[in-house]
Amino acid sequence: MSVEIFGKVNQIIEEIKTASPKAKEEIEQFRIKYLGSKNVLKPLMGEIRNIANEQKKDYGQLVNQAKQVAEAKFQQLKDALESAAEDASAHNIDLTAPGEPIELGSRHPNSIVMNRIIEIFQRMGFAVAEEREIEDDWHNFTAMNTPEDHPARDMQDTYYLKDSTEMLLRTHTSSVQARVMTTTQPPIRIIAPGRVYRNETISARAHCQFHQVEGLYIDEGVSFADLKQTLLHFSKEMYGPNTRIRLRPSYFPFTEPSAEMDISCFVCDSKGCNICKYTGWVEILGCGMVDPQVLENCGIDSKKYSGYAFGMGIERQAILKYKINDIRLLFENDVRFLKQFSSTL
Amino acid sequence: MNVSLNWLKDYIDIDQTPQKTSEILTDIGLEVEGEEEIESIKGGLEGIVVGHVKECDQHPNADKLSLTKVNVGREEDLQIVCGAPNVAIGQKVLVATIGTTLYSSEGEAWKIKKGKIRGETSEGMICAEDELGLGNDHNGIIVLPEEVEVGTLAKDYYKIENDILFEIGLTPNRSDATCHLGVAKDLAAALKINYGGDGRVRVPSVDDFKVHNNSLPIEVVIENTEACPRYAGVSIKGVTIKESPDWLKNKLNAIGVRPISNIVDITNFILHELGQPLHAFDLDKISGQKVIVKTLPKDSKFASLDEVERKLSNEDLMICDGDSKGMCIGGVFGGISSGVKDETKNIFLESAHFNAQWIRRTSTRHNLRTDAAKVFEKGSDPNISVYALKRAAMMIVELAGGEIASEIVDIYPNPIKEKHIEVSYKYLNTLIGVEIPKTKVKEILAALEMEIVSENDEHFTVAVPTNKADVTRPADIVEEVLRIYGLNEVPIPSKINSSIALSQSPDPQSIKNTIADLLSSNGFHEIQGLSLTENRYFKDILPIDDSELVYINNTSNIHLDVMRPTMLFSGLESVLRNQNRQNADLKIYEFGKSYRKKKEGGFNETKHLTLFMTGERFGESWLNTQKTQVGYYTLKSFVANILTRLGLSGYQESAIHTDILNFGLKYHRGPQNLVNFGKINSKILKKMDIKNAVFYAEFNWDAILKALKKHKTDFEALNKFPTVRRDLALVIDNSVKFADIVAIARKAGKKLLRDINLFDVYDDENKLGKGKKSYAVSYIFEDTTKTLKDKDVEKIMNNLIREYEGKLGAIIRR
Repeated sequence: MSVEIFGKVNQIIEEIKTASPKAKEEIEQFRIKYLGSKNVLKPLMGEIRNIANEQKKDYGQLVNQAKQVAEAKFQQLKDALESAAEDASAHNIDLTAPGEPIELGSRHPNSIVMNRIIEIFQRMGFAVAEEREIEDDWHNFTAMNTPEDHPARDMQDTYYLKDSTEMLLRTHTSSVQARVMTTTQPPIRIIAPGRVYRNETISARAHCQFHQVEGLYIDEGVSFADLKQTLLHFSKEMYGPNTRIRLRPSYFPFTEPSAEMDISCFVCDSKGCNICKYTGWVEILGCGMVDPQVLENCGIDSKKYSGYAFGMGIERQAILKYKINDIRLLFENDVRFLKQFSSTL
Repeated sequence: MNVSLNWLKDYIDIDQTPQKTSEILTDIGLEVEGEEEIESIKGGLEGIVVGHVKECDQHPNADKLSLTKVNVGREEDLQIVCGAPNVAIGQKVLVATIGTTLYSSEGEAWKIKKGKIRGETSEGMICAEDELGLGNDHNGIIVLPEEVEVGTLAKDYYKIENDILFEIGLTPNRSDATCHLGVAKDLAAALKINYGGDGRVRVPSVDDFKVHNNSLPIEVVIENTEACPRYAGVSIKGVTIKESPDWLKNKLNAIGVRPISNIVDITNFILHELGQPLHAFDLDKISGQKVIVKTLPKDSKFASLDEVERKLSNEDLMICDGDSKGMCIGGVFGGISSGVKDETKNIFLESAHFNAQWIRRTSTRHNLRTDAAKVFEKGSDPNISVYALKRAAMMIVELAGGEIASEIVDIYPNPIKEKHIEVSYKYLNTLIGVEIPKTKVKEILAALEMEIVSENDEHFTVAVPTNKADVTRPADIVEEVLRIYGLNEVPIPSKINSSIALSQSPDPQSIKNTIADLLSSNGFHEIQGLSLTENRYFKDILPIDDSELVYINNTSNIHLDVMRPTMLFSGLESVLRNQNRQNADLKIYEFGKSYRKKKEGGFNETKHLTLFMTGERFGESWLNTQKTQVGYYTLKSFVANILTRLGLSGYQESAIHTDILNFGLKYHRGPQNLVNFGKINSKILKKMDIKNAVFYAEFNWDAILKALKKHKTDFEALNKFPTVRRDLALVIDNSVKFADIVAIARKAGKKLLRDINLFDVYDDENKLGKGKKSYAVSYIFEDTTKTLKDKDVEKIMNNLIREYEGKLGAIIRR
């Protein structure tokens, strides 16, 4: 008899555990059955009097356990029911309908690229220097070792101001080199972002205004190897860790030796594409060791100090990065264009 | 500059592929910007072989055709039907095999196919001159000498070598490389140092130059030796002006120079071979048998070769005859009457050296960018004048006949010597950043024909050849060594060697980005306008005095002739553009500068941040079907949020009405303006064709940055005690401003008033009376030291009400 009745309670516990009522009414049925005033456990508790004394305690505990299991199960069923009631489908919510029209703006692609470049050089210990755009001839050309009649002046078309032979719109951020070097003694370690101007006909490939970032480092014992190191690091940060660089000798009046730098094409991984014109290389910047004459022009002892400088165009990099096919788009401010840069990464 | 690979091979051996050669040229600073394959014969005789006619019989079905068996070196002889009258057994002929592409005289391609001609198989074609592009003869097939081996490729037999044209972007410092010999020398140096080349350069010899007689001597006088340090010349008698031979025409054609006649072609050849511009005069036109190198008085007239009468400057160096009549603008351009013509018999050939600056000025002044001027202005080699003259004269005698009819005249009063430059190894190695072995440095210098004239362990002194005008200082020597050593060979150090620079604080860059991020996160798009704009805006739309405008003198675009004195129009242009493209709802901002002339001289470049808002406030949505336009208060909140994000407080506000703004506010600190904002004058919008109202804020970003430096945030302990709120409904005149209500409350509420807000506005004329409005204002009080008692708050409120009644004439609605 006692074994049988223990088995019956255990069976009920098993029933409770496996029960799976879903609807509200079914759960109520469950409650009435196991926890209601006439629940199935009650008569079983009454059976205790027929249990042998030495088993009475175990039996009582077993019935209580059944009750606890029933209570826990009921709570669980009730919670499940309530959260189901909050379900979207229960309220007829169309989850795919558009959200509130909270518009996301964008940053100009030039700013995104400029910020990235500045960030990389700031990490390498360069400070940002900004300077005027309306410059005098001396800071833009003469100090930068480009005297009048110098063939290099042929390479750029300069906007001169009316009623002045001296004042012009700077043609490059290199003028900042002269501004900084005439007012600061080395060590100098700056980058100079800013707007520059060329008297060019505006077309898909050329504009009369654009932005550059100039870099300048002057100290004792600065070498061409240091320049390469800085530029390689920059290129890897900017265009990915596998980027390679290639330097070609070139000519700028304000550096000697001078070079132009290419990076391995980040679009095709140097396999050849229309971005790199199937050469595997993309030209990114001009650089070199600061010409001793420039140092002297700016009052820095070229016997004691050496340095490097580099300069790069922002629009060119934005155009490469985003595969923009017309430079004019950058200054037309059409929101259909601007909205494409809502991700500022 | 165009450089022909075959031409380079006249002087040096190149055992690299054209591709590699191009890379090497770029690596040493002669950047190959373009490369083009030039076929001297179209198709390059590809597929044409020498054959032996073993059988030649009458074609069974055609009278005029022959049926041949030709051995072209294959196992089986080819059966070929041939229509040429001169084909015969035993001949060595040229056979176009099946699959070969030939070109018609019009340049059209066609392919040789296996086919049947009048019923007989034909496996190729025996070719005539014109069919191969070797000439114009179509009378019969080409018959080669008997000893030619069967199977020889026609391109080998004719030594057809396709040429490669390199377009080199020559930098202004490379006066040594303006010609083929110069490029060849540089290339030879690189090949020797890095690719095992022998470094040998075959410089054309002039040892056989010989003066035949002195029958036509020309006297030379240099009056201006600064402009013309050297002038050499020689007379040649009895030349015949005619077409140049093919080899010369081909050479010039290859580099894109149009052949004209033998004398002109020879001077062009020498220019591109040696980098020495020459000029040939018709000797019989040189009055007085005398050449005077001098300047002419200002405004003298001169008829140049292009049939233009030019007014001369007194700084144009002229080559004149004995009557001081200009014959030629020295080193730049010839004259119409003194040049060589078809009937010219006797010539005087000039080979001079002119000062680079003089040439540059003259060539710029007259806009004559001739090849000669381009070479001279880079700084040509003064010491090759006589060598080039002899080489040219020898060629003239060879190709145009005649005899050398004078001794060489060479006026060179102050010979220009090789510069000697002393360089220390330490300087060289420090600047490059790698220890280049001394032996290597010396090898490179030797390969560049830079002779070491003295040296010790620490220094060396080199003599720089006079064709390297730009190499004048130790840094230039370092560049010469480095570009041959290889820029890409310099190893990159593993550790960074650097001093550290202090950055500006607060950092303007990060402040700008903070605010840009705020705006871009709130639906604003960042724009970038042009700094250059058109003056019409400041005449017709927003008058600004000319004395303040920064005009450009030489703009190539009349719509870009002045620097923007305000950033207003950059934004309005964008509003207009987008409005015209169905995007009338806009929030945009720009960081930039305005540019104005200062009264006291100099220029103001002021940084600004501008905001433009126009159109619908929210995008269309099912959640909010009511449409509202952006307005002054939308803009005001953004302005306030920007200032709060910047941590700026304690500024004053004043109502404004400006040329730009119909109404608006400015925030300022005393006279220092921080921002103006409000609604743009509808007259401006109308003139710009903008249809919707536009709200505009213009921050003086420089002033903002300056104001920031004084700011710091101090943490304030959170109040433990509860706050108390009281509301008032004030009926006031329309002229009373919320700011007046705030000012009184701040004064009366002392330290206990934490916050004041306007939460309802009501202006029903019927209920309130004309010119009246009702403001519902909330006041939040707190005391950080104790719990506020009702009676303390009541005291303040009563005080406030009295003030409002007395000072603002307010009626309190209860």
